[in-house]
Amino acid sequence: MSSLLSIDHSEDAADAIRAREMLRHDGACWVFDISRVRWLIQAIAAGSRPLNWVDTLLAGTVTMDANANAVHLFGAYAGRGRMLGQPVPAYWPSEGRNMVADLIIGAVTGRSRMSSRKLRLKSLVLRDPVLTAWISDSGTLPDTVFLSIVAEPVDDRSFWLLRTSEERYNNLIHHLPFAFLEVDSRAQAEIFDELRRKGMRDIAAYLDTNPEDILRAREIVRITDVNQSAVHLFGARDASELVGPVDPLFAASPETARRVMVNHFEQSRNYSEIMKLRTLDGRLLDVSLSVTYPTRPERLDVTLIMLEDITDRLRTEAQLRQLQADYTRAARISMLGELASSIAHEVNQPLAAILTNAETSLRWLSRDEPNLEKVAQLTTRISDSARRAEEIVQRIRGMTTRQVPRPIELDLNEIVDEALLFVRHDIGTRSIDLSVRLGHDLPNICGDRVQLQQVVVNLLVNSIQAIQQKGAARGAIEISTEQNEGAAVTFSIRDDGPGIAETDIDHLFNSFFTTKEEGMGIGLAICQSIITAHGGSIHAANRPDGGARFWFSLPAYG
Amino acid sequence: MSKPSLIAIVDDDEAMRDALFDLLQVEGLSARTFGDAGSFLASVAIDAFDCVITDVRMPGIDGLELQRRLRALGLPIPVIFVTSAEDEASRAQAMADGATAYLPKPLASAELLHELSIALHRQSG
Repeated sequence: MSSLLSIDHSEDAADAIRAREMLRHDGACWVFDISRVRWLIQAIAAGSRPLNWVDTLLAGTVTMDANANAVHLFGAYAGRGRMLGQPVPAYWPSEGRNMVADLIIGAVTGRSRMSSRKLRLKSLVLRDPVLTAWISDSGTLPDTVFLSIVAEPVDDRSFWLLRTSEERYNNLIHHLPFAFLEVDSRAQAEIFDELRRKGMRDIAAYLDTNPEDILRAREIVRITDVNQSAVHLFGARDASELVGPVDPLFAASPETARRVMVNHFEQSRNYSEIMKLRTLDGRLLDVSLSVTYPTRPERLDVTLIMLEDITDRLRTEAQLRQLQADYTRAARISMLGELASSIAHEVNQPLAAILTNAETSLRWLSRDEPNLEKVAQLTTRISDSARRAEEIVQRIRGMTTRQVPRPIELDLNEIVDEALLFVRHDIGTRSIDLSVRLGHDLPNICGDRVQLQQVVVNLLVNSIQAIQQKGAARGAIEISTEQNEGAAVTFSIRDDGPGIAETDIDHLFNSFFTTKEEGMGIGLAICQSIITAHGGSIHAANRPDGGARFWFSLPAYG
Repeated sequence: MSKPSLIAIVDDDEAMRDALFDLLQVEGLSARTFGDAGSFLASVAIDAFDCVITDVRMPGIDGLELQRRLRALGLPIPVIFVTSAEDEASRAQAMADGATAYLPKPLASAELLHELSIALHRQSG
């Protein structure tokens, strides 16, 4: 019983001693158990130096404890678990191992209870670190060696934090889903400094006359490190295949190299663009390139390049645009279906006049004394009507043929007149009174004639259908154009139909929203997309005296 | 010998109106043209007309309404429809209200003149 207590007591005492010793120095501290290599230490103390004694010694030196700074220093993200119970070589960089072994021997053999050395560890970001090994002078822990690294001057925890953040940075970079390249462009920076000393100011002009400098830069600026995503993006076997001149990065986009150089010279912080990238395994990708140039006090040897593969995104966007175009065209054709009878009537009118006039001419000509004067007059009328029919056909063709929108300077009033051609008859025959008030001296707008015609026709058809829905004997549509206070032109249409239900008013312009079986509501979504694409806006509201009002505004040209 | 026939042409399309006028002229028939049914109905000597040639779809008073109003006024003037409104409902309505003929546009002039002669003959006879 008493012996158990005394063991407990002695273990507590050992813990207390260890804890006290670990606080002896600021900085990183480890606690080692050297019991497994005491034989080797004694042999060395006796004067022998077995082959590979450093490796053997450290492999048998087991880590019992490590403080937070020690974990930060070498433990990386695996943390304390990567150290405890492990021999020293499991985490200690190959640099400085000889010194650690020397210090342990010194401390254990008592040549000096506390031995310290200045450490030169390039892999650490410590300034003048001092490495110290010692054993407790309590004499109760013979197999325990303490080791500390202290940076001088002792700068509380900044070194450790810096080291920590660098580790974090490395982890982050390594695991980010974007390709990262670390690039050393100091050789080019020196050339730029020299050019500046010689008074060169306009880098763009300089590179125009010295294009070979761009090729040289692609050789002397080097990739020094890449992350796993970059290896994957480039289709490389491993990182080493990419380390070397940046040249392959610009194989498919030589002009990008030039722009990256211009921004480097002009001391930009960042530069980005979308470029083509030819991968090592021959694929051609669209990538978004972002370059971050180093500025003091950062390490000037690290220019960061981030690449994001946007090939799929661009392809999807292109498909989406195509779908939208197809959809707009389909809806346009469906609208034409709606208007077909109106258009047929519109074309039929001049045809009927032509036929009747032609037959009348034949009757005059078949007379014994043909009335040539009358025939000439009728022929003129035939030609007028034929021209009218031809114009109508042209306009329908304009609405149905697939063509890229062509923005030109336009008079909104002309657009309205042309659109009315499509529906004038419909309006007239449905007992709808049409009032048209076109503003005088409106500024021109810039846009695609056919698309804007389509918007006006769509809104007109909408109003006609609304009036029909109401079922009243007569209806009224008022159209107006005017210049408003800002530099904008507004088209407005009012009808005395049933108006817009309050629940519909918010999503009236949504795709596929329609309150009509014929699906003309689709037209409103298209109207909105066209007006938005023209830099304008479209709105709908109910009139206080009943009916609906739609209006759109477009910016004045110039 | 009866007075020369006078025909009313009511059509909102000017080119068609003029074409019909010239067709009747070459056949030696007198006609007057009206751009809409309202102005025809408002003309002073409406009962002087022996026949009306009209479209169906027109702004304001349409062709069917025009025929109804003539009947309501007690005027049995023959009405010939010349129209591209080829829906069956309009045709049935027109015939039920006593139309002489319902002809499609574009028009075979011989057919119109044939229907016209029947109407005028019936009118004078």
